[in-house]
Amino acid sequence: MGDMVVEPATLKPTSDPTASPSGNNGGTLLSVITEGVGELSVIDPEVAQKACQEVLEKVKLLHGGVAISSKGTPLELVNGDGVDSEIRCLDDPPAQIREEEDEMGATVAPGTAKGARRRRQNNSAKQSWLLRLFESKLFDISMAISYLYNSKEPGVQAYIGNRLFCFRNEDVDFYLPQLLNMYIHMDEDVGDAIKPYIVHRCRQSINFSLQCALLLGAYSSDMHISTQRHSRGTKLRKLILSDELKPAHRKRELPSLSPAPDTGLSPSKRTHQRSKSDATASISLSSNLKRTASNPKVENEDEELSSSTESIDNSFSSPVRLAPEREFIKSLMAIGKRLATLPTKEQKTQRLISELSLLNHKLPARVWLPTAGFDHHVVRVPHTQAVVLNSKDKAPYLIYVEVLECENFDTTSVPARIPENRIRSTRSVENLPECGITHEQRAGSFSTVPNYDNDDEAWSVDDIGELQVELPEVHTNSCDNISQFSVDSITSQESKEPVFIAAGDIRRRLSEQLAHTPTAFKRDPEDPSAVALKEPWQEKVRRIREGSPYGHLPNWRLLSVIVKCGDDLRQELLAFQVLKQLQSIWEQERVPLWIKPYKILVISADSGMIEPVVNAVSIHQVKKQSQLSLLDYFLQEHGSYTTEAFLSAQRNFVQSCAGYCLVCYLLQVKDRHNGNILLDAEGHIIHIDFGFILSSSPRNLGFETSAFKLTTEFVDVMGGLNGDMFNYYKMLMLQGLIAARKHMDKVVQIVEIMQQGSQLPCFHGSSTIRNLKERFHMSMTEEQLQLLVEQMVDGSMRSITTKLYDGFQYLTNGIM
Amino acid sequence: MAQVEKRGGLLRKSSASKKPLKEKVVLMYDEIFMTEDPSKCSPRFWEELFLMKVNLEYLEGKLESLDGEELMQMKDNVNCLFQHCIQALGEEHPIRVVNALQTLCALIRGVHQKNKSTSGFDIINMLMGFDKAELCMKNLMESLDSLLCAEGSESLKSLCLKLLLCLVTVTDNISQNTILEYVMINSIFEAILQILSHPPSRREHGYDAVVLLALLVNYRKYESVNPYIVKLSIVDDEATLNGMGLVITQALSEYNRQYKDKEEEHQSGFFSALTNMVGSMFIADAPEKISVQTNEAILLALYEAVHLNRNFITVLAQSHPEMGLVTTPVRPTPPTPVTPLGTTPPSSDVISSVELSLDADVQTSNLLIAFLKYSSIVMQDTKDEHRLHSGKLCLIILTCIAEPMRHRKKAADKNIPCRPLVCAVLDLMVEFIVTHMMKEFPMDLYVRCVQVVHKLLCYQKKCRVRLHYTWRELWSALINLLKFLMSNETVLLAKHNIFALALMIVNLFNMFITYGDTFLPTPSSYDELYYEIIRMHQSFDNLYSMVLRLSTNAGQWKEAAGKVTHALVNIRAIINHFNPKIESYAAVNHISQLSEEQVLEVVRANYDTLTLKLQDGLDQYERYSEQHKEAAFFKELVRSISTNVRRNLAFHTLSQEALLKEFSTIS
Repeated sequence: MGDMVVEPATLKPTSDPTASPSGNNGGTLLSVITEGVGELSVIDPEVAQKACQEVLEKVKLLHGGVAISSKGTPLELVNGDGVDSEIRCLDDPPAQIREEEDEMGATVAPGTAKGARRRRQNNSAKQSWLLRLFESKLFDISMAISYLYNSKEPGVQAYIGNRLFCFRNEDVDFYLPQLLNMYIHMDEDVGDAIKPYIVHRCRQSINFSLQCALLLGAYSSDMHISTQRHSRGTKLRKLILSDELKPAHRKRELPSLSPAPDTGLSPSKRTHQRSKSDATASISLSSNLKRTASNPKVENEDEELSSSTESIDNSFSSPVRLAPEREFIKSLMAIGKRLATLPTKEQKTQRLISELSLLNHKLPARVWLPTAGFDHHVVRVPHTQAVVLNSKDKAPYLIYVEVLECENFDTTSVPARIPENRIRSTRSVENLPECGITHEQRAGSFSTVPNYDNDDEAWSVDDIGELQVELPEVHTNSCDNISQFSVDSITSQESKEPVFIAAGDIRRRLSEQLAHTPTAFKRDPEDPSAVALKEPWQEKVRRIREGSPYGHLPNWRLLSVIVKCGDDLRQELLAFQVLKQLQSIWEQERVPLWIKPYKILVISADSGMIEPVVNAVSIHQVKKQSQLSLLDYFLQEHGSYTTEAFLSAQRNFVQSCAGYCLVCYLLQVKDRHNGNILLDAEGHIIHIDFGFILSSSPRNLGFETSAFKLTTEFVDVMGGLNGDMFNYYKMLMLQGLIAARKHMDKVVQIVEIMQQGSQLPCFHGSSTIRNLKERFHMSMTEEQLQLLVEQMVDGSMRSITTKLYDGFQYLTNGIM
Repeated sequence: MAQVEKRGGLLRKSSASKKPLKEKVVLMYDEIFMTEDPSKCSPRFWEELFLMKVNLEYLEGKLESLDGEELMQMKDNVNCLFQHCIQALGEEHPIRVVNALQTLCALIRGVHQKNKSTSGFDIINMLMGFDKAELCMKNLMESLDSLLCAEGSESLKSLCLKLLLCLVTVTDNISQNTILEYVMINSIFEAILQILSHPPSRREHGYDAVVLLALLVNYRKYESVNPYIVKLSIVDDEATLNGMGLVITQALSEYNRQYKDKEEEHQSGFFSALTNMVGSMFIADAPEKISVQTNEAILLALYEAVHLNRNFITVLAQSHPEMGLVTTPVRPTPPTPVTPLGTTPPSSDVISSVELSLDADVQTSNLLIAFLKYSSIVMQDTKDEHRLHSGKLCLIILTCIAEPMRHRKKAADKNIPCRPLVCAVLDLMVEFIVTHMMKEFPMDLYVRCVQVVHKLLCYQKKCRVRLHYTWRELWSALINLLKFLMSNETVLLAKHNIFALALMIVNLFNMFITYGDTFLPTPSSYDELYYEIIRMHQSFDNLYSMVLRLSTNAGQWKEAAGKVTHALVNIRAIINHFNPKIESYAAVNHISQLSEEQVLEVVRANYDTLTLKLQDGLDQYERYSEQHKEAAFFKELVRSISTNVRRNLAFHTLSQEALLKEFSTIS
């Protein structure tokens, strides 16, 4: 391999301080990195590059400068093209890689297996294989994570740490729990490799900072308390929370440091605007309700105040920019804790509504819902819509949150508060008799009594007119006019012919109008969430929008979130990741399996938030409310057997069923009662609650031994055991399993890394990963797999335990 | 007062001779009540005066003993005292301020006592002197305003409010209290609002502030531009409105709680389970009437808020976890007041600063619920004049709430956990209708009650709100009321125009018949309406023959009765249409007594052959107007509230001892 010889000259310029664009600063920055305390300084691509160089240099020295390979592309010092191009030029893997390679071969791609054999004969060839892999387009984030985890070689780890900068943010975000868990629980080298990237991203995004801080806290919690305090994870968490990673100073320092065009380098374009709005945030959340007069000017006071301080923004900017958000989260958790003390659902619901209405007074503020996929500010919590969810002793609850979408969370200022009472005075102050004048009149003579009709003024007729326009009821002028036209047209005249109406028409209109309303669930004080969840999402959005003072704004959005307090969501997060991975595998392999991973926000080891699945109610609720079998419910909701709607709902049901059966089998999801399986408006089922997965199962009663839950009711919806759809279902499972098997590593990796340092019940025992791998049956032929699927389906169908378990749940929790 | 003097006396006794010496302050008062200028001989007279503990009783008694003539002789000195009081309000030392405030109270009350009939101008002249009055009052109001708004002592603020209340209630008829002109010009409205919007100050002074505002709003409300009315009508600050709502809720809940306690005392266990307001209505039959002093002042405040400020309606249904503070008063926390809605230090937990009581009964409350409970208690017993007025005011407030435009919020709140509050209102109305058919027929209240129902129906029709309410109860209550009117025709006609009420009731039925499709919850409820009318056809037949008789006679009731005759056209059509059908159904099937289900079946089968006449203006109603209809009532009400407030003004509850303690630490 001719291109293996390194020309020291290519490296030299980069390590030479004067040649580097950020030369003067290089030394200090480097030391910062190596110490692993990047708190005080800015991490930017240049620094990252520097760090990279440093590592390579070190490796080169260790190995006498011989082994470093370069693919022949000399290092280019591009500054203008932004992060990616800069870092990409650094992909010279260190020589040490050759030792790693033998271990790694198996876990990489099938293609490299061959290479591994060959490498034994030729050391240099081996090395180039790995190198080529790293440089190839196939090298994706999943592989990067895998190498980072498995490699024992600091050089490789450092290299990958730098390569992280090249991946798309969204791709890396997916592996954030893995990255942070490695950071916390693995050796120092891995940590050092990961840290620059984390710090860099924290500077870019406040949301990323929050997620990191939360995850670091949650995943450190399994450590012993004494080690935890001094652990790397805790330190990094403190660093993030102390807010030293905010990019405020950047703008000021950069010009003096490097006059180079830095538009591309800057993590994001920030202006003083940001700090300005930060200041607003601190004000708006803490001193929000200081407004006293009904003067609209007061409402804008915050805004004015902060804009006047723009010039001194850095000194004034909020000390901790994450503070409002953390406060918000804390409030929600506090509500959950207090709800748990109340005995009945009804009390909980009422209490929840009251608490939220209080919380509403503090909004809008610089807070957001981390589960959302776009930048926004929370402006209002429609408190009357919130519901307490079914749970025996804890009080998870679901809230809807009105937000205003914005381009950039940091730079957009917090929306001004609009008072709840939108019945605005149509009379403005100007229209009122000028008080000042009357004062003088009064003072002049007491006798003047301008006979002023106050009462009529207070409720003058034109007010009413305007108010009627404001009434939100769309129906007022739509539906039928017959029962109303009398008022409009004939009221005035009595001399006209009397108008006759048929009693039958009135009765008919009544039943017709009621028939149009979609089937809603009845209110049940014991199950307050059923009604709220049954209402179609679009309908709910429309309704809440109508009632909201912010509803008229074009960027108004409705989000919802389940707040869980007292539950460990780390397993849920793990399940989410696995589901997401399987989903993308199936998509990639074009297997039409349907699953719905829902987002999880781990807040701490015993609290978090869940993104609710919209338009879905639990099968338990369906059965309880409708008093129908699942099939009959399908017929009622979607139409008779032959209709398009029913058939597509049935297809959705089958595809989701197959998807979740595989998930349940692979992850060993337990506790599958009807309260934990949702049915959405299109017929999909969605499994929720992954509290018992992998090695853990509830109460060890030996229930649920079947591979997954498949009741006869489910089979009925699929059209019975001999139907085409049931065969389709089995075929989908087979295809799904084959596809999953092909990408087993991607799935196992997620679980394996999280096992590191974890006390979660799902990792109980020593064989969790081995068992997981075994369930992919790598050694089976496809025919054998087909047989396996048949067996599993058969087993689950006949499984008495599933039925038993449902009965058990009914007895203990009242779940049908 | 007696206490104060006794204490003073004791002090003397221990220190000096047996012969009762006069307090120094009393001597100084005596000097003022001379014609000579007291500062002539001792130039520091006024300075010293406000360092002395005020002897209210003596001062007030002295003033009361003087009539107008005598007072005019020492006018200069009184004026001087007044002015110096106001000056002292600006002093740094709070003791002087306290003394000045108390002296002012005594002055104002004392001077009015003997001069009830004197014109307001003369009193102003006596107190301040015409020439200086304007400036004087301006300074006074400004001082009070700044004292109320400052971050000062709570007891000082409380004293300021007491002074203002004293000033406002010093005459029986508030509109004749000419001094209030100055209070109009120099508004303290903003100070009142500030008290209400700040939780700590609201907790301390909310009640006084709300009552003061309610009274001020009533100053010459029909004759002139009262700036307080204008300002109150445009308040839209949530914190303030909520604060006001909270104060009212707490006062009403307190009443309800007291009532409940008494009730429990009275009936050991028998009715103890009756907690809902509907249930509590039946207690009217209980042998002994349980009466707790009603609180018209707070009711007036609620009325003014609802009537004048349209933003206030949103406060009505707002549930407030803070209600918990009713039972657990957090009074003694002046040093570090927790501010639930206000400025929490950024570091502290946002919510945990409001430690809410976990009392399930309290926490779910909101203003409307508290008000409905209160109303139900008050309406139980309308026999005595006082309660009759209270009940009337309740109904007037309900009328205001029921005006459709004000419902917007309530409709949006449809999804509240239990059932909508409108149902509770309807329940209350039904209960009222059922329980007040007595000889002393409260016609006025009945008219209001039916109006409330009508307004609610109009709103529901317009906005297509389908309440899941058992309308049947309302129908049968209304029919029973009609029966009562007819059976007591002669007695009632002597006093009231029963046809107006009958017309309203019949038109309620017409609403259901003609527009039922827009607001009834189910098709079968429409059938039930017909069933009820057919079942009770005898009553309608009787009513028809009665009004027909009177409308054909050329008597006093000809026109009124005629209207009812017209209004009955559809009900009669229904009866005449279905009765033969039902009879023939019974005949064909050989059933003597048809079951309800069978009748409903006949009804359902025969809708199509029934034609109804469309009646005009069923969903129109006269808008509530205070000035035209209720002016006299409110005048009287405000008068009695004034008297009450004046009687209850307890200066001495604020003992100087406590103040001294407080201020000795400050200075």
